[in-house]
Amino acid sequence: MTSKKPGKKNTAKNSLDLINIRWRKIKNKFIITNDFGYYLSLNQKEFNDLIYKNKVSEKLKEELISKGFIKTHMDFDDLFSRWKNSNSYLFWGPSLHILVTTLRCNHKCVYCQSQAVGISNDKTDMPTSIAKKSVDIAFYSTAPVLTFEFQGGEPLYNWETVSKAIKYIREKEKNSDKKINISIVSNFSVMDEKKANFLMENEVSICTSLDGPEKLHNKNRIYTQANSYRETIKWLKYFNSMHDNQTNLSYRIFKPSALTTISCDSLKYHKEIIDEFVKNDLNTIFLRPLSPIGFAKKMWNKIGYDSKSFLKFYKDSLNYILSLNKKGIDIKEKTAIMLLNKILNAKDSGFVDLRCPCGAGIGQVAYNHNGEIYTCDEGRMVGWEGEDIFKIGTVKDSYKKIINSLTTKTCAITSNLENQFTCSRCAYRPYCGVCPVINYEAQNNIWGNNISSERCKIFMGIFDIIFELMEDKKNMEIFNLWVEDKKEITV
Amino acid sequence: MKYETFEDLYSYEALNIAKNILKDGESVTITKNKNKNIIDISSENPDKIFKELMNEALNQQCRIDISKKNFKVSQMIITKALVSALGEEPKSKKRGRK
Repeated sequence: MTSKKPGKKNTAKNSLDLINIRWRKIKNKFIITNDFGYYLSLNQKEFNDLIYKNKVSEKLKEELISKGFIKTHMDFDDLFSRWKNSNSYLFWGPSLHILVTTLRCNHKCVYCQSQAVGISNDKTDMPTSIAKKSVDIAFYSTAPVLTFEFQGGEPLYNWETVSKAIKYIREKEKNSDKKINISIVSNFSVMDEKKANFLMENEVSICTSLDGPEKLHNKNRIYTQANSYRETIKWLKYFNSMHDNQTNLSYRIFKPSALTTISCDSLKYHKEIIDEFVKNDLNTIFLRPLSPIGFAKKMWNKIGYDSKSFLKFYKDSLNYILSLNKKGIDIKEKTAIMLLNKILNAKDSGFVDLRCPCGAGIGQVAYNHNGEIYTCDEGRMVGWEGEDIFKIGTVKDSYKKIINSLTTKTCAITSNLENQFTCSRCAYRPYCGVCPVINYEAQNNIWGNNISSERCKIFMGIFDIIFELMEDKKNMEIFNLWVEDKKEITV
Repeated sequence: MKYETFEDLYSYEALNIAKNILKDGESVTITKNKNKNIIDISSENPDKIFKELMNEALNQQCRIDISKKNFKVSQMIITKALVSALGEEPKSKKRGRK
């Protein structure tokens, strides 16, 4: 065995042997991060002293040591534990299983991604046999927790398959050591008490879309047969009341949640949208930017916007939400919660789009109505447009064949941030992720070009906003409360 | 119109990926000639297409370079993710002399 020559060490008193750090300037502060997900906020002098003089105050030196920035003083137990927590998804298979039970829908939303068809077109209904096969495949996953999400179209149009699949999942759960979550995303337009009771009795969490006040919601979510907003609010109130008044039941009723998709019409109404959620007793709002996929891609000139416009909206929204929190009103923003959990608690929030590699096929799987299986729901939508490049198999294939498919591997390689030259040295690398499907749709290239990617600009901007807000002590107290909540928020 | 680039600056691989991403990629032919790559563009505005091609080639070349540099850590992450999803332990390589 040959012994290595020791490297040249800086032996000057108080000098620091820094590990590879990434940094970003936000106004007059410098955020430095490391691979373990630790961060420090430095002022200009501290940053200059650290980088150019290699000499900092004792207090800062202690902080750098405790957060694993100094090579010679690394607490490997703590650092590995933190890295493992934030990358826990690397240790098991897909946990999110999306069943597209029908493409039928009675809404014609301006940003629809799901390629919905008319309500008479029952050819796109998933047969129960395919739903059961999909569930069987999902149970082969190595994940200890499985989440089944019923989607559409409007999934309630295929109630027979939805109800039978839910029963089948709960039956299989009895002989499994996995924890099972079930959720359904519905516009409530064909909900009735019978269906609602069945869903509650089977502990299905209910999620809908609420885009804001009546005028805005109905403009985004076009429903000619009735008033979409009123239907949504009626059932949100119903499920909220059932949740609040549950006593002596053998099952748990979850609080309903709602997604908000931000169209260009929404950008002017951040206060009104948030007030609508507060008014309807919803304590979490998920402000999602539009993705250039499906119908939204075709309509982009009419409903789309640039990252700058969305970031202004997001910043105004988050500031307004914080001001409400300071008045004692309980309302949180879901993207901020996910990112804060990563930054403050080194906790993976389950959001498969912000992982390295992304969750395509290894974190989530989408089962189409006809038995075809895709890396994710977005990949399925690309397939519907005629390019089946994100298909990873069918329900006739084995679980191993699906995971071993070339597409799953390709998505894992292309979404690995270590293979992306802008991401690998970005300060937000420990908390972020890229999406090959959005890269392909927006830039005709699964690798993407992050320098010109609007998605990258949006996430960089959101991180900047959050780190900037974290400089304020009162904001930090609120943010800590948001991530202290142990209850998982299901969306 | 023909253009020349050096292989050690923009690899044949990066140029070809860039060509496939480009909307007007069909008008581009790339041939390798020793340490140079010859780019032949048959279009009304070849300079515009050449600039777009080189812009994307720069992106791809940087990506290829960083993938080589980070090869070990990148492979570890991907292998861990895929093996965990499959539920199999990686086969350990036998080491030492026979």
